[in-house]
Amino acid sequence: MVLILFVLVGISVTIAFSTLSEAQKEQKTIITHSGKAIQTYGDVLDPLSNASTVEFDPQKYLRDFNYGHISKSPTGQTIRDFTIIAEDNKTQEISPGVFYNVWTFNGTVPGPTIRATEGDLVRIHFINNGSKSHTMHFHGIHKAEMDGVFEIVGPGGGQFTYEFEAGPVGVHPYHCHVMPLEEHISHGLYGVFIVDPKEGRPPADEMVMVLNGFDTDFDAENNFYAANTIPFFYQHHPIQIKTDELIRIYVVNMVEFDPINNFHLHGNLYHYYPTGTDTVPSTYTDMITLSQTERGIMEFQYTYPGKYLFHAHKVEFSEKGWTGLFLVQKPGDATGSEYES
Amino acid sequence: MNPKSQIRTVLSGLIPFVFLVIMILYLFGPGSNLIKFGTALPEITIEKIEFVDSEIQATVRNTGSIPVTIAMADVNDRIQPAAIEPDKSLERFETALVRIPFTWNRAEPYTIGITLDDGVRFDKFVEAASPAIKYDYNLAGFFAIIGTYVGIIPVMIGLLWLPFIKRIGKNKYNFFLALTIGLLVFLGIDAIQEAFEVSQKNLSPNFNGGLLIVTITILSLLGLYYVAEKLTSRTKLSPDSKPLVIGLMIAIGIGLHNLGEGLAIGAAVGLGQVALTTFLIVGFALHNTTEGLAIASPLAKTKSPAFKIIILGLIAGSPAILGTWIGGFFYSPFTAIIFLSIGAGAIFQVALVILKWIYQSDQKLVQASVMSGIGVGMLIMYLTSILV
Repeated sequence: MVLILFVLVGISVTIAFSTLSEAQKEQKTIITHSGKAIQTYGDVLDPLSNASTVEFDPQKYLRDFNYGHISKSPTGQTIRDFTIIAEDNKTQEISPGVFYNVWTFNGTVPGPTIRATEGDLVRIHFINNGSKSHTMHFHGIHKAEMDGVFEIVGPGGGQFTYEFEAGPVGVHPYHCHVMPLEEHISHGLYGVFIVDPKEGRPPADEMVMVLNGFDTDFDAENNFYAANTIPFFYQHHPIQIKTDELIRIYVVNMVEFDPINNFHLHGNLYHYYPTGTDTVPSTYTDMITLSQTERGIMEFQYTYPGKYLFHAHKVEFSEKGWTGLFLVQKPGDATGSEYES
Repeated sequence: MNPKSQIRTVLSGLIPFVFLVIMILYLFGPGSNLIKFGTALPEITIEKIEFVDSEIQATVRNTGSIPVTIAMADVNDRIQPAAIEPDKSLERFETALVRIPFTWNRAEPYTIGITLDDGVRFDKFVEAASPAIKYDYNLAGFFAIIGTYVGIIPVMIGLLWLPFIKRIGKNKYNFFLALTIGLLVFLGIDAIQEAFEVSQKNLSPNFNGGLLIVTITILSLLGLYYVAEKLTSRTKLSPDSKPLVIGLMIAIGIGLHNLGEGLAIGAAVGLGQVALTTFLIVGFALHNTTEGLAIASPLAKTKSPAFKIIILGLIAGSPAILGTWIGGFFYSPFTAIIFLSIGAGAIFQVALVILKWIYQSDQKLVQASVMSGIGVGMLIMYLTSILV
């Protein structure tokens, strides 16, 4: 009797589960950029539209500036203390479904955006928790022993304090400078260092874009490109900006392997300040070309609302992820929601 | 033997196996630390790419030693959204269909790439995109016609040599029998070479293609030889019917060989390789007239009714039709290799039987007619193979 009951329960459970698993196989539709659609009961392989599932949030990184722990020296100089921890064992989903061993400053690629004002004393308390030697090398003006090249910081908790006066004004990269350099950079050990002029810049909606790529199959060619790490992210989570508001982008090209990268803006032109060191723009254009670690500041504002693309006009890069959208809205029309796809 | 000693026999046979299992568990089982070097790398093979209406479809197989997850598809190294059916996780040897919506251009080359979850990319190059063939009765009919031209008609033409062979003397007859051996040996080597080519081009190294070919060929040779011997020894054959049996075996062997040829043609049509298809059809058709000669030779000294000879011709020729169907509709490198190897084994078996037959009737193999026959046979085949 018990046995029969057991069998009955077993059978009904099996049936229930099999219908459940069938119910899970719902039909999905894929629509491509050109409007082609296919229906499938299988899985969708689409880095273009699944991009919200990844760990690193480019939307947050975009406008995230770190000013450090602020104190004043006896002479009245502003001191900014930062703690940066290097690791090299993390596996990050750098594109939906693709997992890659990233080497990180403070857990992300790119590392935190470090921001100071010209003349501030910057103190970086660097801890290497990785399994390899790492350093921090800042582009800028500092003493030789603060250059992060010969002062190798050993693995497993090695420490070093980088101390220098912020300067010159502009936008600079920082990155690990341990050999083999290409390996350390392409795995993700880089970030942005912004030095503001003492008098400040005109108020604007400011954002950071690191143009980067990942060589996930180690053939010295990038498999993915992006603005801020995640391919296609801003295409499906457009960056919301307002009409007639000044937009300022600190753009830094950290792409390895490919000699150049570029930045094209749709429906608009921008004033470009190479390296951000000068207050007078060098050009008014919709297209700049950037070599390795070449960087600058872009300023523009939109008159007409709508969706505007920005992407590498080296189309290979844009078709491998380095493409995004600005959603320009009139100040009253803003939806208030941070994400939209 | 009493039951007790039987148990003992079984046990003594099993004990070494038990120790073997224990050793393997110790070396590779859970918790074993002894052998821990190297990393199992994921691997997939893109087996087939088809171009359908505004869509590119790639069949992928997990040919590595660990399960894999497919993460992304690309066309010419540019990321494309895609669907994968039934799902993106593949166990060992499991296959899935990747469907990429893409407006492809006829006759242009394409590289289809598949990226795994660890970022490694595998790709396959297609020389020229052409619409995937539509599988319907028309195509089946088309294949049947091609199969007839390649298989049946040339073999029948070859059989027309029969009256000629009937009229010649013993030495010349031996020459033609030996010629048949030469033809067959050449065909067998040709099939093996073809199988190795398919294995190198399209089969994952995981299948150990080379050893598979050798194993299947030898199995086929041994199996057919054994069956044929049993058949010929069980039925008390009159001297008249023995040549017919040998003719039948030759026909079966050649039939298996023609099946392989049909596979090659069907697969070439399926892969859209028009030039190769034409070459194969013309080449095989010319080639196969010599097969008719091979069947005719042993029959020459007997009075075999015409309908039996025609049946032999059909047995040898019609598998070409079956081959084009299998090759065109269900092509896979694996089945192609299997068929080619079986064919090779069958052909070697037939060559062996004829050799034995000559020896039994003459008690002597080393004679000018036999040696020159084999040599000329191989030369003829070689020349026809390069002429087309």
